[in-house]
Amino acid sequence: MSNTDNAVTGTTPAASPGSSAPEAPRQSRRSRWDATDLALIAVFAAIVAGSALIAAIPVGGLGVPITLQTLAVMLTGLALGPGRAFAAVGLYLLLGFAGLPIFSGGRSGLGVLAGPSAGYIFGFLLAATAVGALTVVVMRRTAEHSAKFRAVLLFCAAMVSSIVFVHGLGILGMMLNAKLSLSAAFLADLAFYPGDVIKNILAVTVALALHKAFPDLLVRRIRRVHLAGEAAGRA
Amino acid sequence: MRGHGFLLANYVPGTSLVHRTPLWLKFLLVLACGMGSFLVADWAAAAAGLGVLCGVFLLSGAGVRRLFRAVRPILPVLAVIGLFQWWQLDGPVAARIVLNVLVCVVAAAILTATTQVQSLLDGVASLARPFRRFGADPERFALTIAIMLRSIPFIAGAYADVRDSARARGLERNPRALVLPVFITTVAFARQTGDALAARGLGEADDGDDHEDREG
Repeated sequence: MSNTDNAVTGTTPAASPGSSAPEAPRQSRRSRWDATDLALIAVFAAIVAGSALIAAIPVGGLGVPITLQTLAVMLTGLALGPGRAFAAVGLYLLLGFAGLPIFSGGRSGLGVLAGPSAGYIFGFLLAATAVGALTVVVMRRTAEHSAKFRAVLLFCAAMVSSIVFVHGLGILGMMLNAKLSLSAAFLADLAFYPGDVIKNILAVTVALALHKAFPDLLVRRIRRVHLAGEAAGRA
Repeated sequence: MRGHGFLLANYVPGTSLVHRTPLWLKFLLVLACGMGSFLVADWAAAAAGLGVLCGVFLLSGAGVRRLFRAVRPILPVLAVIGLFQWWQLDGPVAARIVLNVLVCVVAAAILTATTQVQSLLDGVASLARPFRRFGADPERFALTIAIMLRSIPFIAGAYADVRDSARARGLERNPRALVLPVFITTVAFARQTGDALAARGLGEADDGDDHEDREG
């Protein structure tokens, strides 16, 4: 199963040696997903769907209930890396558009695209992919740093991804579908920031625990591709 | 939530003309309504469109209550937006914005109320077919959809179990205790599923160029 990685990277030894390390992830995406990857994609898509359906968690002290949807989306990126996270969130969106009642509040179908929250729904897809890509970079660069440093960097990666994509596209969606002005949409969007900070902190702690419990989820994969890339560079 | 029943909630069995319309035509209707909502500038036209679509929905025999249930989730948000735009812009403009959104929601509800979940999913799986030449594999795509649908009840059950055990330990307000075990359980579940698939030779990529890789 795992030798497809080596096989794919091995077929292009002509790649210039200097740029082999940054090219490694692009080549690994070319390799086929095995059955476990498919199951992970499917199960994380189901987690995103399930988190939209279950009741919100009351957060102690603040009294603000948080829904778990954005948490699940960011965790998908943090746990699976860009390619599989894109597939998982994309699968969720596709089945939601097809009519399964798996969008928040039990909504479903293409009608969601006309609603004011359409931008957020597309933002999920891009944010999960972006935070996945940043996670791979952070995990590779901080192998010898402390766990705390890594957690802070991952939190920054999650915040940047959600601000740029979830909030950015969310504001754009409200402007397009509800015809709000930029300032009004921006103000409406501000309400989601406190919850997002909490959810991203939670997502990073859960993701680090997941990578500790299942090193072959992403960490060993990155290392393997990294080594394969170096081997291809040396050849 | 622990069963698959909720996935079928939207479909209303029937043999009306709307039920017999092919899926692609209904999909085109939804698409046209989406496009139209950006073009229609007159609130009366939007209201007429909404009236026609409601008529089509009722023609399928799904009933007024179903129609209301389809639009209910979006009504509070639309009320806020409608009032805000009325105050900011103008009455007719606010009405147009709200009606256009409702047109799209009702059109989508027609599609889901008159199409069986199975044929909807077959429609989604067939989306992968044109991409076959770029390496897409419709069978693996359909398999992934099936695993996802089968996992939703499992995950809902895991959430409920973890919430119960957190409550038993007095940790029902600790987000980490509520979330982490769910993810640990589901990742383990995904890996078991992956192993089970691999043991049966399912889900492996097996087209021409991949065989070359294996042999290398």
